[in-house]
Amino acid sequence: MTSSDTIAAIATARGQAALAIVRMSGPKAVDVATSCFKGNDLREAASHSAHVGLWEDADGTQSDRVVVTVFRGPNSSTGEDIVEVTCHGGDYVTGLILTSMVRKGARMARPGEFTQRAFLNGKLDLAQAEAVADLIDATSSRAHRTSVAALEGHYSKLLDRVRASLLQLCALAELEIDFAEEDVEFADRSELKSAVSSTFGLVRTLLDSCKLGEFVREGVRAVIAGRPNAGKSTLLNSLCARDRAIVSARPGTTRDTLEADVEIKGLRYRFIDTAGLRDTPDEIEQLGVDRAHKLLDRADMILYVYDLTLGLAPEELRILSKWADTPVILIGNKLDLIESRSQSDDHIMLSAIAGPEAMSSLKDQIAATATEWWSDPDVSRVVMNSRHQGHLDAAANYLTAALESIRSGMPPDLFTLDLRAAAQELGMITGAISNEEVLGAIFSRFCIGK
Amino acid sequence: MSAQYDLIVVGGGHAGTEAAAAAARMGARTLLITMSLEAIGRMSCNPAIGGIGKGHIVREIDAMGGIMGRVTDDAGLQFRMLNRRKGPAVWGPRAQCDRVLYATGVRQALESIDGLYMRADMVMSVQVESGRIAGVTTRLGQEISAPCVILTNGTFMNGVIHVGRRQFGGGRMGERQSTGLTACLHELGFESGRLKTGTPPRVDGRTLDYEVLQEQRGDPEPSPFSYMTDVLPDRQLSCHLAWTSPSVHNVLRQGFSESPMFAGRIQGQGPRYCPSIEDKLDRFASKDRHQLFLEPEGWKTHEVYVNGFSTSLPEETQLQALRCVPGLEQVHMLRPGYAIEYDYFPPYQLRYSLETKRIEGLFFAGQINGTTGYEEAAAQGLMAGINAVRRLSRSDPVILRRSEAYIGVLIDDLIAKGTEEPYRMFTSRAEHRMLLRQDNADLRLTERAYKLGVASAARYERMETKRQAIQATLDNLGRTKLKPGAVNSYLQSAQTTPITSPMRADRLARRPQVSLQALLESARVSNDVLVPSQGMERVADLAEIELKYAGYVARQKDEVRRLARMENWQIPRTFDYAELTNISMEAREKLSRIRPETLGQASRISGVSPADISVLMVLLRANVSRETFSESAHG
Repeated sequence: MTSSDTIAAIATARGQAALAIVRMSGPKAVDVATSCFKGNDLREAASHSAHVGLWEDADGTQSDRVVVTVFRGPNSSTGEDIVEVTCHGGDYVTGLILTSMVRKGARMARPGEFTQRAFLNGKLDLAQAEAVADLIDATSSRAHRTSVAALEGHYSKLLDRVRASLLQLCALAELEIDFAEEDVEFADRSELKSAVSSTFGLVRTLLDSCKLGEFVREGVRAVIAGRPNAGKSTLLNSLCARDRAIVSARPGTTRDTLEADVEIKGLRYRFIDTAGLRDTPDEIEQLGVDRAHKLLDRADMILYVYDLTLGLAPEELRILSKWADTPVILIGNKLDLIESRSQSDDHIMLSAIAGPEAMSSLKDQIAATATEWWSDPDVSRVVMNSRHQGHLDAAANYLTAALESIRSGMPPDLFTLDLRAAAQELGMITGAISNEEVLGAIFSRFCIGK
Repeated sequence: MSAQYDLIVVGGGHAGTEAAAAAARMGARTLLITMSLEAIGRMSCNPAIGGIGKGHIVREIDAMGGIMGRVTDDAGLQFRMLNRRKGPAVWGPRAQCDRVLYATGVRQALESIDGLYMRADMVMSVQVESGRIAGVTTRLGQEISAPCVILTNGTFMNGVIHVGRRQFGGGRMGERQSTGLTACLHELGFESGRLKTGTPPRVDGRTLDYEVLQEQRGDPEPSPFSYMTDVLPDRQLSCHLAWTSPSVHNVLRQGFSESPMFAGRIQGQGPRYCPSIEDKLDRFASKDRHQLFLEPEGWKTHEVYVNGFSTSLPEETQLQALRCVPGLEQVHMLRPGYAIEYDYFPPYQLRYSLETKRIEGLFFAGQINGTTGYEEAAAQGLMAGINAVRRLSRSDPVILRRSEAYIGVLIDDLIAKGTEEPYRMFTSRAEHRMLLRQDNADLRLTERAYKLGVASAARYERMETKRQAIQATLDNLGRTKLKPGAVNSYLQSAQTTPITSPMRADRLARRPQVSLQALLESARVSNDVLVPSQGMERVADLAEIELKYAGYVARQKDEVRRLARMENWQIPRTFDYAELTNISMEAREKLSRIRPETLGQASRISGVSPADISVLMVLLRANVSRETFSESAHG
């Protein structure tokens, strides 16, 4: 039993490492690799053979110098053809290689799918198989959590709009087919074209907003927040061991946001310093505060700094509760200025002003929090996002094809093939657009029934 | 009690007659019991067969040897191919029929089949012995035994008719409802629900002003429903169009207070795509006119069916409103419109063979499964008839796939998704629409039906001739080069680019603007290239479809192949869904209620996610390995 499609995923853990592996399994694995690989002809390659060469992006730019290993089914771990690409470590390079595979015809693997294929092809025994069921269970609930997180905010609103727009478009097209005899106003070709174009525009916007690697390139977004003068900028400077932020004793100095990339235990972080959270009469400062709120909305982690000499006000906790779904590390600053050192288990106490040396406990805590977040390499937000991107890319292509068909005067039963395919791709992200739903959209909008 | 019959079919409508005909043709001794022999094959609602989606179903029924297509061709008084200007996948044949000729045609078709018996009686209950059907008990006190029973009771079970404030029991106007059977089925553990449908008034055509009405003629070259038909009636009648107006709407609105729908006397859910006129006014208040089709009911009657004016408003309101319609000022109403509520049995209680899960040998077909329409009912009757005989011989049931037939889409939708309103077919329900064309139903289904014994040898041979004629024509087209001088004037008239050097005929035929028949005629090569077939279809048209849409067809076939593994993956009937602790509650509840037969079917149940399917897949695999240690594990 072999699958008809080819799946791809990053096989090694995230973060900085010397080497990483991206792999594909399925009938097209060798073909996809061949089209990206400049070196020996992989189609001729024997099973279990390795080849050095250059990996090229879909647009022909060179991604990395890589070693490609070809395993021929059924004598491979999944029972299908497998290609493993060993490249230099780091999420950026692996992300590019994965994207090029998807662009060339592979699709993003679902959690546990390599194992599942191995099992379905008789490569695992029963005990292993039951472990797979548990894995799928575990990963799907986690995937659900992460996808929900990824779907929050701007992104999910846009997705809803794309879905609604595509649904209406399908309804317009199907109306003309199934209700040709009805006394309703059918969309003319220019109306259909503009509906396709506007749906396509929304998909493009989405694609821009979730470009693969944005997240990896930026690192984990750790937003430093707190009241004015709590020492956020000082903390940022100490974390990145240089004077990145302008520091002064005047509250409200940081009006814009400052960012710095720091690597901790093999993972990259983008620390983002924000304006102090307070209501202020200063218009420019208020803009900074608003911006801080928005950054917190998008944070992967919040470092909340408060002044130990003032303590943590209940009001501050109340504000923080707005981001209850984001991990928060509470940092009591200005340890050097207080006498009694009452310990708190879940707060980190430090003196940001003491410089990089005082940062070790905080860095440990950051790494621990991140590890928890990133523990399963199969299900990270990067994968979710690039999976979405794969579907969005495909949807965009189908919409382009539909537009072309409409332009060239094809009948609706033909261009609806592309509209349906686009709906199916999008459905992988937003939940399927079913035939019933299209009919429902027709009945709610048009008076049908002779 | 020894069985007198192999099969009893209860009901003589479109489902019951197809069921009885199919079963008897396959050799089963079949008894059809109906309350009135005169009502066999009666068209309860509009005098038309087919349409977009529905027409496809009729072609499929015919391809499998059913009776609906042939009777329609004989009884038709107007033939139209809808959507002809769109792609061939969505062409939908439709015919207006002479209501009397249609019913007579069905009766004659049944009487011509050996081993098919009829009886006028009412079935009061079914007899069950240890979970298996044993026979039926009738109102006349007869106990008739049979190892298989198909119920096709239509809208008759506890049917209640509403006109304004008046309501009374009935299965159709002028025919009594059937009582008792629902209670009997409840006792056996079946669940039932209520649905609603309606029908418009019938009027006297002599009181219509045809000068004012807009005429709608039949096709100049009519297309038949049956692949076996060689000639259609040489004359056709026209339909006429009329429109309602704000004054019509005002009159209707005055009757709303007495509407059984708005007053809540009707509880059953009606179809959204076939709303009553009062529903249309209510939901689309801003629309100031609605289209009405005035459809002749027969060659020898003036009766006219007012399509688009389905209503259960009081009779006086109906008449007064009709008389405000331009062209109907003098109209005489023969019969008011009415709404009817009836019992149906939610179809998740069925297997894909249409046998009930609860009682072995008991099948349900037609409107009692929540569908609407003659065609949908007939399709189920045909399949239930075939599968009842398959059960008698302990053979595997015949289940058509979604990629094989609209009939497959219909039954899969009913069982995997259920239905909350009367279910009607649309082409948009079929995701493999390019494959399920009305021109190729015979190529898709006839061979299988012939092997099952339900389609005749003559039909099979005719299909084979057609298949070979298309192939031979395509081969010829590939070998024929057309010269610029021979075709350029045609190409220019068809508004496509002329050629500068000889070009293969099949290449030219792929151009969207080119008609193959006209191209070959203009080049004077049609007799050399076209290989004749039988029947009324033109080989040039069939070959042209093959050429023009090859890419789309290939694409859909590719999709079907990708889905095939899921569709082929059987789930054992005994599978214990309680084991599926790691899927959502909703999915577990639905899976254990519907008990899908394959993974493909499971994946279409709403509320069952792809992740749920993955878990199910793994557990199924694990179960197989546990039970059979050897070969089947790699299936």
